[in-house]
Amino acid sequence: MRTETVITGLGTIGSCGHGRGALLAALADGKPVATEVNRGAGLHREDGARLAALAPDRDVSRWVPPAVARRMSLPSKLVVASARMALEEAGLGAASAGIARTGIYLATAYGTSSSTEALLRQILLEGAEAAQPFHFSECVANAPAAQLAISVGARGPNVTLMQRESGPLLAVARGAEAVREGGVDRALAGSVEELTPLLHALLDRFGALARAEGGRAEMPRPFDRRRNGFLAGEGATLLVLEREDAARARGARPLARVRWGGAAFDPTASVSDWGDGHAGLAAALRAGLDLVPGGPAGIAAVVSGASGSRRGDRLEGRVLRAAWGDVPLPPILVPKAIVGEYGGGILTSGLLALEGARFGPISGFSEPDPEIGVAPHGGGALETPARVLLTGLASGGAAGWLVLEQAS
Amino acid sequence: MSYTPSYPIVVTGLGAVSPLGWGLGALWDGLRSGRAAIGPFDRFDHSGHRTHVAAQVDTAAEIERPHGKRRRLSLADRFAVAAAREAVAHAAIDVPPGGDRTGVYFGTSTGGMFETEVYLESLFAAMAGRGKPPTTRLIASQQNNGPGDAVARDLGIGGPVQTVSAACASGAMAIGDAFRAVRRGEVDVAIAGGADSLCRLTYAGFNALRAVDERACRPFRGERAGLSLGEGAAVLVLEPLDRALARGAQPVAIVAGEAATCDAHHMTAPHPEGMGAAEAIRGALADARLDPSEIDFVNAHGTGTPLNDAAECAALVAVFGDRVSGLPVTSTKSLVGHLLGTAGALEAVATILCLQKGEVHPMPDDGTPDPAIRLRLVLGRPQPLARARHALSTNLAFGGANAALVFTRHGDQDRAH
Repeated sequence: MRTETVITGLGTIGSCGHGRGALLAALADGKPVATEVNRGAGLHREDGARLAALAPDRDVSRWVPPAVARRMSLPSKLVVASARMALEEAGLGAASAGIARTGIYLATAYGTSSSTEALLRQILLEGAEAAQPFHFSECVANAPAAQLAISVGARGPNVTLMQRESGPLLAVARGAEAVREGGVDRALAGSVEELTPLLHALLDRFGALARAEGGRAEMPRPFDRRRNGFLAGEGATLLVLEREDAARARGARPLARVRWGGAAFDPTASVSDWGDGHAGLAAALRAGLDLVPGGPAGIAAVVSGASGSRRGDRLEGRVLRAAWGDVPLPPILVPKAIVGEYGGGILTSGLLALEGARFGPISGFSEPDPEIGVAPHGGGALETPARVLLTGLASGGAAGWLVLEQAS
Repeated sequence: MSYTPSYPIVVTGLGAVSPLGWGLGALWDGLRSGRAAIGPFDRFDHSGHRTHVAAQVDTAAEIERPHGKRRRLSLADRFAVAAAREAVAHAAIDVPPGGDRTGVYFGTSTGGMFETEVYLESLFAAMAGRGKPPTTRLIASQQNNGPGDAVARDLGIGGPVQTVSAACASGAMAIGDAFRAVRRGEVDVAIAGGADSLCRLTYAGFNALRAVDERACRPFRGERAGLSLGEGAAVLVLEPLDRALARGAQPVAIVAGEAATCDAHHMTAPHPEGMGAAEAIRGALADARLDPSEIDFVNAHGTGTPLNDAAECAALVAVFGDRVSGLPVTSTKSLVGHLLGTAGALEAVATILCLQKGEVHPMPDDGTPDPAIRLRLVLGRPQPLARARHALSTNLAFGGANAALVFTRHGDQDRAH
């Protein structure tokens, strides 16, 4: 008998604050949770982006003692705090038994940006010998995953995946597979992103971010004809994954079952943008959907990675339409319009959708793009979906998908 | 069409770009010579540092100079693409355009960091009123997914692409992921490896930790005083044996087993008794269904830092017991430096070449073996080991990540699975 992997705990910190409660309200509201970025360093373009979905509440002392937190970068703190939140929800907060055979599967696109930036500023502006060891040990991409392992004593594989927007979905799929295969008893899987003013300025210089244009306010507009970029975001989301039989045996309440995870690549993509190869991606997605009960028709909602990027959203729409073919597309939810571009928002929103969360109309959407032929959910009541597809098409060509379903 | 794999999983192609040169031939000749490619370098200004040696790839010898879209690739991307092309040619495999049954599994530590530094230096200067802001083209491929993506794009691959960044264990973990993906039948063929380039961030960082030797590194020697940094790329092509034989390919080795663990002990120091590393080695041996007594030689992580080498020795003693004093041990890093996220991939290639050639490459015979380290070091000249069947390659990383790979000589797979 195939052993399934279930999610038994969720911890999240982002622009809406700590935990799922504030995010629920924001998803219902449909407006971006964004604040002004510090542009004081003069690195930004004059007419460039000004907003980002920054994590405003960085006090994690409930989860990470200050004496420990002082040795961590912000991403490490967010990861450890989110993981402890998730473990508590899973009923494993105080337990140490069994945690040793826990694997960590964490995705990040940019790593620990503040530590990297601080170290580079020291090297480039103050001189090579000014480099501080703390910044170096925290600037390695796997620092948050390593800090988490040290914090909870997880001695299984410690994997940090870097595949831009597809990374969070790949990380959860990878963790679920490790649990299913028995390589680990449990997995802590998820995503972290940190947005510094410098990183925001660089993304803006690439022309990647939404900005005010033609009298319209700066806002991410997924699938809208007038979209001109995404809202950069930050935060961390960690999930507890375990075998369904083991979780039920210890009385845990599964939040969802990981039904399928898939990945593909669009070789027509450029180094820093999305490509036009929707047919290949759609074929890979369709092959995966055909493995889940009901095929595409069995998917009750898509939690889309559409973010407001010109080419990314166009590719996403074309992939979804081609994968579904003659089957009507289900409602498409676009949480990145609210929490910005950081993978954790997709993971949390996928779980909340399965719990019956209300997704309001997206304030940035009003003109469908005929090139895409897909529109976000209009805000009406949704039946609680039995199964959702999460999507993550990455600039550069990678793609990741995840199907989550009700486990009750 | 889906392919149902069967054991074992074999390596049918290898490729490498290293400080010893471009290509497998240069790598093997250099490894066999026992002469380190570690010395003065000019990738960036290091005059402000306390150390001045590294192992740099000769980019003047690059087979295909960047042009057109390739100008947006980082140095690490270019190393990766060159190594992947060599490995695919070696495997004599056709990757169908957009083929979704081929995947890329890559590891890197810093990806395009070198180019990011060049960009930021210009940007900071512009902000201070010196010159114009630089073009973003300079950092188009700065992220760590750059090398793996570049390989997939270059080969026209449509299957899964995944980049692991687990510091010095990245390359080995990427090979482990590729191995499992082929074994599970997710892909028919996996292109696995890693790529990294020298950059100021890691050079300054390891110097800040006082972990860089002022001379070429001396793994397991009493006088060892730190690592030497290197750069390059290495790629392996993996596929099921029966698939390889069916298409007339000649396997070069078998991937017999893999495992990864975490010390969960300290951010920069390994567990002093090598606990996590020992668990990874035991896991890989169990995966390969081999007894420790069946391992014929070890390509150790062997960085040359006092803490790493002691912990790694402890791990080997814990697994191999008294036999460790007779077990040949080498360290590829002693010749090419520490390639960080690529180290595991290049050392896997080196290990396979040793199995294939029937001799273990030496380390430079420089310094006195540490009397506290009870290992039989291969020093000065290659050690003939014509009957070697199984070899172990280990990697220990920042943050406590450990990875171990076991390779078996092709033709000896009856005991591997």
